[in-house]
Amino acid sequence: MIDEWLVFLLLFLAPVVSSIPIALAYKSKGWTEKLPYLSVFGIFVSVLMSLYILFVVPKNQQFVYDWVPDLGINIVLITDYLSRYMGVITALIAFFIAIYGLDYMRGDYRPSWYWFFFNLFTASMLLVVYSDNLFLLFVGWEGLGAASWGLIGHWFRDDDEIAYVGVPKRKVGPLELSWPPSFGGWRAISTIRFGDVPMFFAIAAIWVFAGTLNISEINWESLFLTIGCAGTIILLVLLLLGLLTKSAQVPFSEWLMTAMTGPTTVSALLHSATMVAAGAFVFIKLTWYIKPWELHHVPGLNYVYIFALFIGLISGLYGALSASGMLERKVLLAASTMSSLGLMFGVAAASYWIHEEIAGMNFALLVAFWYMAVHAFAKASLFLVSGHLIHATHSRFSVGDFEFGKRMKTAFGVTIIATTFLIGMPPFTAYWVKSGMDEVMEHLIHHGMVIPIVLLILTSLVYSAILARFLSLNFIKGEKPEHEHVEGGGLMKLGYVMMVSMLFVLVYLIFTSAETAGFVHAGFIPTSFAVGMAILVAYVIAIYKPRIPSLAKLGAFFNDRMYLPFVNDYILPKTGFFVSHLVQDYGNRGIDGFFNTKVMPGLFERISKGIRTIQTGYLTNYVKIVLGLVMIFLVIASIGGILI
Amino acid sequence: MIGLTGLTLMLVAIAILTLGSVFSFKYRRVGFYAAIVALIIGLAACRSLYYGAFIFAIGIINLVSLEAIKSEIKGVDYGLVGLMALATMYIFNTSDLALVLAALVLVSVPTYILVMIREGGANVEVGIKYITFMVFATILFLIGAIILAYTKNSFDGVLYILGYVMLVLGLSLEVGVAPLHEWVPDVFTSADPIPISIIASLAKIVPFIAALWILIYTASALTASITIFTAVLAAISMFTGNIGALTSKEHARVLAYSTVANMGYVLTCMVVVIKPIPEFICFALVGGLLMLFANAAGKIGFFNAIKGEGAYSPLMYLLAFSFIGVPPLMGFWGKFFILSSLVKVGLFMAEAGYVYIALAALIVINSAISIPYYIRLASELGIGWKANLTNFIAVSAVVIILITVVPPNWFFEGVRALARTIGVIV
Repeated sequence: MIDEWLVFLLLFLAPVVSSIPIALAYKSKGWTEKLPYLSVFGIFVSVLMSLYILFVVPKNQQFVYDWVPDLGINIVLITDYLSRYMGVITALIAFFIAIYGLDYMRGDYRPSWYWFFFNLFTASMLLVVYSDNLFLLFVGWEGLGAASWGLIGHWFRDDDEIAYVGVPKRKVGPLELSWPPSFGGWRAISTIRFGDVPMFFAIAAIWVFAGTLNISEINWESLFLTIGCAGTIILLVLLLLGLLTKSAQVPFSEWLMTAMTGPTTVSALLHSATMVAAGAFVFIKLTWYIKPWELHHVPGLNYVYIFALFIGLISGLYGALSASGMLERKVLLAASTMSSLGLMFGVAAASYWIHEEIAGMNFALLVAFWYMAVHAFAKASLFLVSGHLIHATHSRFSVGDFEFGKRMKTAFGVTIIATTFLIGMPPFTAYWVKSGMDEVMEHLIHHGMVIPIVLLILTSLVYSAILARFLSLNFIKGEKPEHEHVEGGGLMKLGYVMMVSMLFVLVYLIFTSAETAGFVHAGFIPTSFAVGMAILVAYVIAIYKPRIPSLAKLGAFFNDRMYLPFVNDYILPKTGFFVSHLVQDYGNRGIDGFFNTKVMPGLFERISKGIRTIQTGYLTNYVKIVLGLVMIFLVIASIGGILI
Repeated sequence: MIGLTGLTLMLVAIAILTLGSVFSFKYRRVGFYAAIVALIIGLAACRSLYYGAFIFAIGIINLVSLEAIKSEIKGVDYGLVGLMALATMYIFNTSDLALVLAALVLVSVPTYILVMIREGGANVEVGIKYITFMVFATILFLIGAIILAYTKNSFDGVLYILGYVMLVLGLSLEVGVAPLHEWVPDVFTSADPIPISIIASLAKIVPFIAALWILIYTASALTASITIFTAVLAAISMFTGNIGALTSKEHARVLAYSTVANMGYVLTCMVVVIKPIPEFICFALVGGLLMLFANAAGKIGFFNAIKGEGAYSPLMYLLAFSFIGVPPLMGFWGKFFILSSLVKVGLFMAEAGYVYIALAALIVINSAISIPYYIRLASELGIGWKANLTNFIAVSAVVIILITVVPPNWFFEGVRALARTIGVIV
């Protein structure tokens, strides 16, 4: 039996430590070609450790190592259901992508930068996953932010058009709708920062009012009752701002679209097991311990969960619709990710109204978590495939006819599996999870909410169509690629084949695990089956007819993400400039006027003039002043003395 | 031995001074050496070694600085400064009102002559201005003291308040507290810097100790309410002095206003005098003394630099930092103890304590206002090193303000013991 602390130490530090040599050897071409294998090995160690934690380390146990106990800041790790499985998912996906990356990043101009941040990214996510202490979680959270900035802006020279998002020089109104990698990195970190700061304050408030930062130990009920209705809403919305920006939910979704300027491996990791998943994961984890379905007497909590439910479902539909007009391979997948994350948020938020428990766990949260798992492997596979396609066709736009598809058999096959397993087509993996989702949303009808189920079904149909479109335009009905480079890429193929094969493991687990029995049950309900069949129909139609020319204008509108970039790149900066001008012109002038130019100096000048005018140099004047003052003082003193 | 020696030794010292002054008409050097001998005897007669040593050092530096001026009464001037130093040393030896007042007069009168010293003749105009106010001040002080002493035996509220106000007004006029400070800028700028360095240093100590001594002895139930008067004077003086100094260009004038401000700081010690709490009084006494010593050392250094047209730059900056109150220089400890006493009393007085806390805050604000002009003074008076009398005096002054690099617990203990022996505190 190995000591737990050693296991955790290896889990978190192996990826980081193993990537330090390549970071240090950035000047040597020879070393930077060999050292990536060491970095990948570091992630492999994490995989082993996460498996060890899953199978050997006791379940539902806290491991506490003191750090700053006076402030509740400690290294507190937990092996609850969510952490154990999410840890394995994260480590495995990172490992598969890393193997793929050995091929994909060969010959890149700064491998040291890439591998260091890639491994830091993985380690940070693992910290978020296993942490029970909100501050420790926040450390990992910030690590994710920093690493994502480094990786999205990896090709910081902006010298290769293939790394851009959008069509260069295409202008809509005053705005050029194209983004180079350096801008993509900046957009990511600035959006995330916007959510991190409120989240940090929320964590501080939790420490002040609850007296502990350990998620599993906080008495949420008494915390909410202490701070009251308004307090509860403010606290949770501040927290949610951090989670929603990280998970790129509307209106914070823009950064995720332009995050596609990073290497495809980064997109794959970012979209499946880290970063965007972190937001949804933390939301599920917090809800897991808040147990909102037991807190219906707490004022304000219902508003927060309605808010999260609709933000999630609206993001789901928005992402799917936007993707439907897109031709850029990775951006299309990015928008579909945002859609999936929206569904995770929506379903997790619906737990407020769901009392059903399986093996002691809330059904809605289980659905959300399992959807996250299925989505992670499927989406990562699709990204890896699209990276291979970009290499093979030298284009980031969807191209590829059936001939091309036949030459890229592995990629073609993996895309078919990943899409069919992800959209919710019976009887593949996601169908069972989505059936659970249907059941959850159906249950909300009993609480007077019909819109959620409508939004869910709409989203599912569009979602199915966009993935079918991705398949069709790249392998079946797309244009013939100008360049074709289909040889080699062995490690890349290995990466996505291993990735997609995990979907079979998941479907096996769904049928054998106790906690997922509810999914299987839901899958055999006729309405769920009807929805599944509708999804299948949408899929087939979209494969057959991936483009509808008569809807080109609507497609362009969707492709421009319904003009949301204007909020990000135009309205917000203009507002910022306006405010800063306001501060500079009026605020600073006021402060300056008070301290530096008008009020205080004027006061000093008047007093000093007064002091100076007394000094006439004439003794008689002085005597008059002094005698007068002394007499006045004595008279006042006498009167005062008599009165006292 | 002290019992016999106290007054006797002092008388011997005064006799030596007198003889030295007489013989100095024939042999000029005799006056200087006689003064030194008298100061040594005075130090031996002093009850507190620490206090005595500080006065001794300040006195010696004053004596040496007189070398920089060729006065018509060369020789006698040594005697006058020696007399002031002796009286200052003696103030802690007695608990007799008559002797305390005598010491005040002995410190005050010599300055009438010193202020007129000038190379080639006497500065009569300054003399008249100065003497007019000093006479007035001394009279106010004496009457106030006597009235207070009277109320000690048969209490009368109106008389007590009149006496208190007169004493404080006399003190204010004597040392130059605003708004009775009119003579200070004129005299400081038109007299010779050397005698002014003596008036601004040695002459300030006795009036304060005497006033404090009298106020403590005669404190009554009314004291706590009348201190507001002193507090207001102190606040006016701080602001007048600092703003005046901040907006003045002439060095001597800046120093004149700085004196007004410093006297405001020291006056806050009087505010702390409310009878039953000896601990506060001790803090205030130590703070006031350190403040006066720091002021003395700084004024000597700066005025001598004016006379010598500049002194070694780092020394000037050290003196400026001491005035501003940068730790661990003496000026810091002076303010620190004064602030401590104010805050302690403020907390003790509960609701009525805000006056004290506000006064403490005003001291801090004023210290901040004073930063620019002290730095300016140091940068304008600072020059390169030269081995001359000016720098010798500046070094001596800096040594004094650097003594408190060792935190002055020792001085606090010494003063507390001294205050106990003369019965200021129990």
